[in-house]
Amino acid sequence: MSRELDLLVIGAGVAGLTAAWQLSKSGQKTRVIAKGWGATHWHTGCVDVLGYYPLDSETPVASPREGLERLTADNPQHPYALAGIEQLEAVLTAFQELCAGAGYPLYGSLDKNWLLPTAVGALRPTCLAPETMIAGDTASKEPMLLVGFRRLPDFFANVVAENLTAQGIPATDLTLTPKPLEKERVMNSVLLARHFEKPEFRAEIAKEVRKHLGQARRVGFPAVLGHSPQQAMTVKQDLEKQIGCPVFEIPTAPPSVPGIRLHTIFMAAIRQAGGRVYDGQEALRADSEGSRITAVYTESAARERPHRAQNYLLATGGILGGGITTDHLGQTREVVFGLPLNAPDGRENWFKRRFLDAEGHPIYQSGVPVSNRFQPVNGGAEPIYENLFAAGGTLAHCEPIRERSLEGVALATGFKAAKVISEE
Amino acid sequence: MTGELHRPVELSLDQCIKCNICVTACPVTAVTDLFPGPKYEGPQGARFRHNGQPTPDKSVDYCSGCRVCNMVCPTGVRIAEINARARADMVRDGKFSWRNRLRNNMVARSELLGKFGQPVAPLANAVMSNGLTRRLMEATLGIARDAPLPAFSRERFTKWFKQRPSKKGTAGKVVFFHGCSTEYYEGRPGKAAVQILEANGFEVVVPKQNCCGLPLLSNGEFGAARSYHESNVRSLVEYVRQGYDIVGTSTSCTLTLKEEAPELLDMFGPDAKLVAEHTFDFNEFLLNLLDEGRLQTDFRPIPLRLAYHVPCQYRAHRIGKPGLELLELIPELEIIESQAACCGIAGTYGYKTEKYEIAMAVGKPLFEFVLEVGGPVAVCDSETCRWQISHGTGVPAIHPAELLAAAYGFEVEGALAEILSN
Repeated sequence: MSRELDLLVIGAGVAGLTAAWQLSKSGQKTRVIAKGWGATHWHTGCVDVLGYYPLDSETPVASPREGLERLTADNPQHPYALAGIEQLEAVLTAFQELCAGAGYPLYGSLDKNWLLPTAVGALRPTCLAPETMIAGDTASKEPMLLVGFRRLPDFFANVVAENLTAQGIPATDLTLTPKPLEKERVMNSVLLARHFEKPEFRAEIAKEVRKHLGQARRVGFPAVLGHSPQQAMTVKQDLEKQIGCPVFEIPTAPPSVPGIRLHTIFMAAIRQAGGRVYDGQEALRADSEGSRITAVYTESAARERPHRAQNYLLATGGILGGGITTDHLGQTREVVFGLPLNAPDGRENWFKRRFLDAEGHPIYQSGVPVSNRFQPVNGGAEPIYENLFAAGGTLAHCEPIRERSLEGVALATGFKAAKVISEE
Repeated sequence: MTGELHRPVELSLDQCIKCNICVTACPVTAVTDLFPGPKYEGPQGARFRHNGQPTPDKSVDYCSGCRVCNMVCPTGVRIAEINARARADMVRDGKFSWRNRLRNNMVARSELLGKFGQPVAPLANAVMSNGLTRRLMEATLGIARDAPLPAFSRERFTKWFKQRPSKKGTAGKVVFFHGCSTEYYEGRPGKAAVQILEANGFEVVVPKQNCCGLPLLSNGEFGAARSYHESNVRSLVEYVRQGYDIVGTSTSCTLTLKEEAPELLDMFGPDAKLVAEHTFDFNEFLLNLLDEGRLQTDFRPIPLRLAYHVPCQYRAHRIGKPGLELLELIPELEIIESQAACCGIAGTYGYKTEKYEIAMAVGKPLFEFVLEVGGPVAVCDSETCRWQISHGTGVPAIHPAELLAAAYGFEVEGALAEILSN
């Protein structure tokens, strides 16, 4: 009896989970292995497609579609250019349907970026945002009240309000110290989100907020309004009813509750389609025969464990995600297959002199060059291994953090790689 | 350089990037603020724990050791092991009250309890299930009166094993590591496993063995745990050298032999390493046979719909979910997998008065899941988890090996036998 997998995905960020969702849905026997959780618990829970272009521009991209046209014309090697804008549009639609089906709709389109407030009151361009965030849209200048919690770290309502007011969005602030939180020895966004799922806790918050509403026509909270996707919608609607005006969330520093909600939705979709996701399994190395990968080995108690599949998708991320690492000699290395990278030579070329250099730091631009079939290549167009694919932050010729394209690149390339694999 | 500097547990703490993902996943932090979270207790606290310096926080004792934090950490920090070591240092430094140490040493000595209690099982069980006794135990020792302490079995597993005619196998040779639970409390999984291994052509032996030492390790009693592990290695390594593999149905015992004991006790000698490399969880072993085309799979149908919880100790082997993949081979058996992080009991954790409520709160989502699936039994690989599930739901719980044994056509015992006879 053959138990061989159709697809082994290495990495459980947005790219890996997108591919696993698509291929398990199409009936392929799919397994995701991941060292741990990562990207999904750090990101904002929005889908950034393209926030700034050219990268040193001070003005955010108004229409991602127009920005993408310029980007792909200037940089035909960019993952967006390799995937094609129609693939990006298709996956955004599919992902919106998935989230809406889970009772947690995302809004937006390629034609317009939202400009949503950040936890320091800056304006953040993003393409798709959950319903819990869109009342924070700064295209509207309606005054807002920002609510913080005394014991929640890294979210200071007065800072957000001051910076937004300075940018023409009148904002006031309120910092609450609800009784149940006083008893907690530690506080973080996830614990607070669990508190918000309790109606009596919400009632206390709503009562305080109503008292301090003043001129405000909308109320912003750190993104802790309920832990699960379904609860988040309930909490938002209930608060709006009790306070009497629109309510929105502002993403926090990690752990990011809206990111975790998208993780929950992905995991349920993969599980329902028969795929498996295993965490705690770090991919160490691979075996190959000729031009085929024959096994990937993961670390386990007392021994290495082989995983064998028809196809393999590398979605381990870049320097930040751990898919690419460096050593003290200045060598840059792709951690599982040792694939060739386009990376700066030598440590002295990793960084620009200035911390916030407008051109970014070359080390963060290192990645795995791929063909338009998302197969790692070594210079030419011929794949190094016929059954190996790559997607997401591990790819070369993009810089997701500075482009504000992290989720967009992950979704588009995970989707396109899955499509190529399913047509194999 | 000393070996100290190469200890993988301590070295890993520098990998912590303070992302808090472990805190979001920790089942204990989710229900009580007595345990602030793996990040604070593990890598963050460890920076303050130097020889001769005061330890920062006694709350590390509220870590249940479930290892969920290790599994989700994106940078590979061995958080649960850092906590286990911190607890052991507290024990060594006399930071626990004498009463708690006495209590911990009692609940952690499953082998000793078994040796005394099993021979007089009917009496011992009557005494231990008596409400008054339990109240007294709670008042004097701090063992929670409602905690699901197991009953002693009427017959020791090894007695059953010795009475059977020994079978010569051609497929390979296996040492069955029964662990305390199979030997003294619940022989069913062991009996099922031996029959299945023999049916697949293996010669099965049960040589001299001790408790794996895990309950002592998780109570910070490293000295006693070391004696057990040394004794096990001495006995088992001879068999490994003769070509035997070591197979066990108790997932925490096999994890201890594979990794926990060597890592926590710094026992990286060649013998301990050899034993670790040849130790397998029962399902893992069968699944390897399946991959090699050597597993008999002519299973009889079992028309049941059952909830299956893969214990946290089992996930910590980092081998996926072999039990799930095996049970899927049984015709007509529908397995609904639990997504719960932990049942709460975490070995001896939930037996303690100060932790009982926490353990029950951790297990609540799992209990609700089991009741929602609603089968006549629940399935779980770890013994203390099975007892906790039954305690929390009233539903009997069995090991996957019992279902496999029934699918092979062997006679099974207990709850499953009753269900299948109806």
